[in-house]
Amino acid sequence: MKHLKSFNKKAIMLDQAVADGNAEEVVAMQSIVGCTSTNDPGWEVDPFGGLGSLCQPMESDLYGCADACWWPAQVPDTMSTHPNWSQDVAKANQDWRKLDSIFPEDE
Amino acid sequence: MNNNKTKRALLGSGALALLGLAAVPLPAQALDGADIIRQRCLACHSETGDAAAPFSRISEQRKTPEGWMTTLNRMQSQRGLEISVEEKRALIKYLSDNQGLAPAETAEHRYLLEQTPNVVDNPAPAYAEMCARCHSGARFALQRRSEDEWRNLVHFHMGQFPTLEFHALSRDRAWFDIALNDTVPQLAKEFPLQSAAWQQWQQAEKPKLAGSWAVAGYLPGKGAFDGRLTVRDSGDDRYSVLIEGRYADGSPLSGGGSAVVYAGYEWRANLTVDGIKMRQVLAASEDGSRLRGRQFQRNANEIGGELTAVRADRPAILSVTPSYIKHGETRQITLAGSQLGGKLALGSGLELLKVIARSDSRVTLLVRADANTEVGMRTLRVGKATAELALYDALARVEITPDDSIARVGGNGGPIPKVRSSYRALGYAAGADGQPGTDDDLRLGYMPASWSLKPFDEIAEHDNDLKYAGTIDADGIFTPGDAGLNPERKMSTNNVGNLTVVGTVQDGDNAVSGEAHLLVTVQDFVKSPLQ
Repeated sequence: MKHLKSFNKKAIMLDQAVADGNAEEVVAMQSIVGCTSTNDPGWEVDPFGGLGSLCQPMESDLYGCADACWWPAQVPDTMSTHPNWSQDVAKANQDWRKLDSIFPEDE
Repeated sequence: MNNNKTKRALLGSGALALLGLAAVPLPAQALDGADIIRQRCLACHSETGDAAAPFSRISEQRKTPEGWMTTLNRMQSQRGLEISVEEKRALIKYLSDNQGLAPAETAEHRYLLEQTPNVVDNPAPAYAEMCARCHSGARFALQRRSEDEWRNLVHFHMGQFPTLEFHALSRDRAWFDIALNDTVPQLAKEFPLQSAAWQQWQQAEKPKLAGSWAVAGYLPGKGAFDGRLTVRDSGDDRYSVLIEGRYADGSPLSGGGSAVVYAGYEWRANLTVDGIKMRQVLAASEDGSRLRGRQFQRNANEIGGELTAVRADRPAILSVTPSYIKHGETRQITLAGSQLGGKLALGSGLELLKVIARSDSRVTLLVRADANTEVGMRTLRVGKATAELALYDALARVEITPDDSIARVGGNGGPIPKVRSSYRALGYAAGADGQPGTDDDLRLGYMPASWSLKPFDEIAEHDNDLKYAGTIDADGIFTPGDAGLNPERKMSTNNVGNLTVVGTVQDGDNAVSGEAHLLVTVQDFVKSPLQ
């Protein structure tokens, strides 16, 4: 880390975790059922069990999650499974109200 | 199944249907599961000629009703399956009955079928690092597959979600080799297609569930309830259901609907109770004497609670409300159940002052607890029925359940509703050693509490999460904030928050509080029957 300087909040938190010897103390595998523990940084919970390292506001980076199929159990992956999920919504941070969840209901 | 040829000849459009080009409804009398598979699935699947496993891939798996529904949903949305609602229902029933799970195979994982929120599960590390990174532990533990089919599941994930190569725990190890060479054999061994439990259950006589049941349960915002569940046989494992009862505060409860029983014990009922659409996911005991599970709002499945029913023709106490009495206290105690006409007996140190009300299904007593008697559980008896009442000296600690939880922002003009969370306060006395938090603590049961919120940590305090993330009501139900960007917050952050839920129980002049962690977070955009 000699030639790298932490710049944003997340990087500072990561630096701090390394400095405190807490890099391995990740909360993954202990999160509530339905929460992904693929903490990169995490969809609803961050690697530290909080919210500080999540992308916020979520809408600004939502398509970065959807297009790259990053949390397909939580965010519709537009790469393979739900290609049309967001096709009419160019900017999620403006038109987030048009984005529905995927919920096959047939009764 | 014996007259398949006749049915297909009558249809006269077998080739067209095989190609999946048209979802022409099959005639009503043809709604046999194997026929539906032949008509709707063989464009991709094939008949093997093996009577024990007649259809490729399909016959190599066993699943719960929700598991088969998930499969059919995916076949419709991803693989071009065309199937009518009626055929789909019939096929889910057929597959669940013939390729389902035995009661013993679902027992440890019912929380997922019951849609219980805020469960923290702990799958074995090999699964936690592979499957449970995205899914609950029960999602795969409620499936049974041949080794080839577990392997196909890995390949499906690689093909459908190719960027999983870049995820943590994929990019940093040879995940694909580990999945194929280690995880698949482990899954095939632990969750095998063939099992003694399933073979025995297939041969066992299945319980008949028609009749009158004594029922007790809990609903957030309403409280504990008890009553009668009247179940009438409509044929083909279908039942009509009536529920009548009352909540602990005396207000009535009334509703009805219908139920389907899958695999001989998986009770799924849709009811309207007091104007609200509810669902029951219950398991019948193998001897048919008990139904147990969870009842929840269909449009908000996080709002629900446990439900137990026993045959109303046998003596049983299903609930004791409240389930505790303190030294020197005089208290009204209500027992609910069935066949409660027998002789009353309370344990030592308890004096029956008065029988306030009494029926076959409910007994309300005025009870005084001796001020100096030994602390501990007492057995209450009504004829042959028994239940436990905690006799305690002082409330020593309060646990808030669930102790770790999430809620999700929603609403605000968007299509995704808020996901709430609800809490209960579970009281304990210190027990003989006088130290709370030790093994001999005496569990008193759920107690009324007052509710508040505070920031979980310094970051939450600094970000003013308490102002934005939501509110908790007098019943312990937390309602999260509105969805969307909030320009009032730094960087227009969503109304997420990291909070502590505080429940405070008043025990005489002493107030005892417990705490739980609550993360208010973003929406879940993918909802599966089994998360």
